Amino acid sequence: MNIKVFEKLRAAELINDAELTAVKTAEDQQLFSLHWEIKTLLYLGVLLLSGGLGILIYKNIDTIGHQVILMIIGVICAGCFNYCIRKKAPFSWSKVDSPNAFFDYALLLGCLTFVTFVGYLQFQYTAFGTAYGLATFIPLAVLTVSAYYFDHLGVLSMAITNLAAWMGIAVTPFQLLSANDFGSVQLIYTGVILGGLLLGLAFLSAWKNLKKHFAFTYQNFGAHIIFIACIAGMCVFDTSWLAWLAFMAAIGFFLFKEAFKERSFYFVLITVLYGYIAVSIAVVRLLILTNDIGGLYLGLLYFIGSAIGVIVLLISLNKKIKHASV
Amino acid sequence: MLAYNSQTLDNLEIKEEAEKALRKNCITQPAYQAIEAAHPVNFYTPNPVIKIGLFILTVVIISFSLGLLSLMAMDMLRNEDGFAGLCIFAGLVCYGILEMFIREKKLFRAGVDDALLWGAVMLICSSMVIVDRISASTICFVVGFVTVLATLRFADMLMAGVAYLAFLGFIFTVAIKLGPVAKTIVPFLIMFISITAYVAAKKISAYHSSRHYKHCLTVISVLSLLTLYLAGNYFVVRELSNTMFDLQLQDGESIPGAIFFWIYTAVIPVVYLYLGIRKKDAVLLRTGMILLAAIVFTIRYYHSVLPLETAMVLGGLVLAVGAWALIRYLKEPKHGFTYAEPEDPSLADKLRLESLIIAQTYAPGAQPAGNDVQFGGGTGGGGGASGGY
Repeated sequence: MNIKVFEKLRAAELINDAELTAVKTAEDQQLFSLHWEIKTLLYLGVLLLSGGLGILIYKNIDTIGHQVILMIIGVICAGCFNYCIRKKAPFSWSKVDSPNAFFDYALLLGCLTFVTFVGYLQFQYTAFGTAYGLATFIPLAVLTVSAYYFDHLGVLSMAITNLAAWMGIAVTPFQLLSANDFGSVQLIYTGVILGGLLLGLAFLSAWKNLKKHFAFTYQNFGAHIIFIACIAGMCVFDTSWLAWLAFMAAIGFFLFKEAFKERSFYFVLITVLYGYIAVSIAVVRLLILTNDIGGLYLGLLYFIGSAIGVIVLLISLNKKIKHASV
Repeated sequence: MLAYNSQTLDNLEIKEEAEKALRKNCITQPAYQAIEAAHPVNFYTPNPVIKIGLFILTVVIISFSLGLLSLMAMDMLRNEDGFAGLCIFAGLVCYGILEMFIREKKLFRAGVDDALLWGAVMLICSSMVIVDRISASTICFVVGFVTVLATLRFADMLMAGVAYLAFLGFIFTVAIKLGPVAKTIVPFLIMFISITAYVAAKKISAYHSSRHYKHCLTVISVLSLLTLYLAGNYFVVRELSNTMFDLQLQDGESIPGAIFFWIYTAVIPVVYLYLGIRKKDAVLLRTGMILLAAIVFTIRYYHSVLPLETAMVLGGLVLAVGAWALIRYLKEPKHGFTYAEPEDPSLADKLRLESLIIAQTYAPGAQPAGNDVQFGGGTGGGGGASGGY
């Protein structure tokens, strides 16, 4: 806080002496927080450690033997989970704060090594036979249980990513658009199912109060996946694109109402933007039908005019939602 | 000089300070309301999330308007010069609209104004690149000139950063043309300018009259610390002089004065860290942390001290154990440092950015067959927007 500002406010008699002293003491006791710096170091450490161990094992398979490697990974994994189980606060369906900062990363390391462990078992011994689904399903189950049992949003995101991989979609933020071939019909349907499932989970956790703070993460992944799948549907299907538009409108309307109720700007914004993209695709598809250079002009004018319209809409929505949460 | 009302900017700062004090229970709610009433702020600044939406939409409008303009002026655009002229025209129009919005609608960091400002500057500056016969130093000079004006008028952080870099680029492009002696001293010249810029930014920010440019000066001090390091980093100096001055170094051959640059590479980040901790300066501390990684990369690029995996495991162990030790050490605040979270809730926190980063760095294992990994599915975000034509 800027002491000079408060001294001026005191001179203008907007605050009294006690308040000025309070500000001064608070400023004197102000500590320099290293929270994010240390957290970054810790996270980098965990990443380097798990990645480095992976390569180390891969390179030395011939000399140390598979059983030893599996044992090392298993010991690390068990050690991490053991630490977490000993340190954790009792389970509850509401938010449980983590006992200390190290806990979060020990859990993360435990989960990462567990995934490696299962992958290794499958790769080397085909422990789960040819049922490849099972080999991804076991980490999925363990990740989900850990996320709920230890209350960890990062592990929950890993579980969601794993669920999507199990169903055949890459959903990590940077891969969502680049690594998926949304031209494939099957992938579009999978996307709709996955998105719907995640949105369902989001509302279930908010409604039944089951780890309510997980709802945001579920809804975030779910909304993006289902919207992108719908937009892909509108582009791919030449006959039934109107049906996809209608479906997306229904989802969008529902999400928009929920977002408004929750006062979440973030979901209002993405719903509006995805909706805008969908409407624009519809307009472009109609304009292509005219098959005329005039259509091009109309299209450009449409984008300029409609974008102005959406800006006005967003500004008025911003006024309507007071005290927004996000 | 500044496009915004200075009094209102002051009021905004007072209001923000009062909010902080209210959050820490230093002042009472009625006092806060009195302060708020006595210092009216009539800027329009939407919620940060909405701001991003407004920014994207404004960019959409600017690009499609440019498209429409080029379509209508098809005859004019027989060569690059015509298009460059159109870009300058569009840039000036953006600027005009920006000035009007700020005066009439009191936009302040609202997304729309940021997009208009950046759009205007980009359009005007890119016209020079389109024409394709203007020398690099002229481009740097004009970009620097335009962005300095933009910084002074709108106190925009990005503009300040670009202005600083363009200035350095100008010095660099002029210096390397001056002959062999100038080439040798270029690193030292850049170092000198960087350190002068850092000291100047610190000095200027102490003046009362520069208070509205606080954030611009922070950007400049971060950038000047980075350029101060990069100017003497062994990798940068060796590779840049190899390609630009045609030294034709073979692998393993080294540049003149290598010892100096090696010491510089390794020492400067540590100095930053030390000063950052001594002075409790977040800028120095964080820059130092980032540059520690630069030391590792530079050394590993030329000398394979350890096999990659051993280095990763060791580094990971050191980082994890070090962080764990720090957390234990700072359990009770010591020497004015604490591990406790800063009280101001940040946007990154609200959007659960941390969990997204974890998901991003974690690549799930076996993917079932049938999911061809292909680039350029390209039907997603906005694909249909212009794809029709």
